[in-house]
Amino acid sequence: MIADAATGVALALRGEGDPYALSGILRQEDALTPAAVRVLGADALAPYAVEHRAVAVGADDEAVVRQALAAYPPGADASAVSAWTYRGLVEAAHAFLPGGAPPWPPPPEAGTGWVESDPWPKLAHRASQLAALALPPLAPGLAEQLAGRTDDLARGFVRAVRRRDWLQAAGLGRWLARLPEAPQTLGLDSGLAFVRQMGGTDPRVALHVAAARRFHGRGW
Amino acid sequence: MVTDRTAPVETATLAAEVEGLLEPAEADGVFRDTRECGGALLLAALLLISPPTPRPKTDVR
Repeated sequence: MIADAATGVALALRGEGDPYALSGILRQEDALTPAAVRVLGADALAPYAVEHRAVAVGADDEAVVRQALAAYPPGADASAVSAWTYRGLVEAAHAFLPGGAPPWPPPPEAGTGWVESDPWPKLAHRASQLAALALPPLAPGLAEQLAGRTDDLARGFVRAVRRRDWLQAAGLGRWLARLPEAPQTLGLDSGLAFVRQMGGTDPRVALHVAAARRFHGRGW
Repeated sequence: MVTDRTAPVETATLAAEVEGLLEPAEADGVFRDTRECGGALLLAALLLISPPTPRPKTDVR
């Protein structure tokens, strides 16, 4: 179900398929829909960030997001990834589904201490799990902090490609596409093309690569 | 197999699954060891260039 939804998002970002509607690919009455939206996070709304959308956002889309936010809030002892993905979904709702009634909840606080303290392989793994937050204009503070460790993310990208961990590589490539100073020597464009070629059968890999292309013009 | 997606789901179980999907452990890397590949290539090359096994002459005059 998550894979199907990710495929729908990736198609929409590539400008293929039918006009995207979140409630069209994840039906409100489906018991697993809130879980799928929570796992996809901000990416569930990524097609709405594309300019000149063909279809207006409907009330059903809002309802689907509200269901997910209500059903799976991060607990008191939630991990940083859980807190950040939740925050990402809230921020995306504010940005792409404005004017909701009742108003969207304020984005919850999420810690950034790990950006400074994590060793680079762990940082790369964690950043790749938060790749949906690379969607502009979400999480500007996190993006700014990650920019301070651009070289470590680039190391992580190479490491992920060497390990043939295509999902991690795609997530990191997406972040590097957003950050202002990705090293020229990394070969990010050809790297993303390679990741798509090798791991593009995974819908989440395809989604990250399509997002890097659509929003940042990186990758072939 | 048909799954009824409208059936009630165990909320706690699903919440745990969602957390697991949000933060999966790092996948094991798949490496190709250059030394192993080189060794296999060398062995194949040696087999190819090795002289044929000596056999007794069979032509009888």
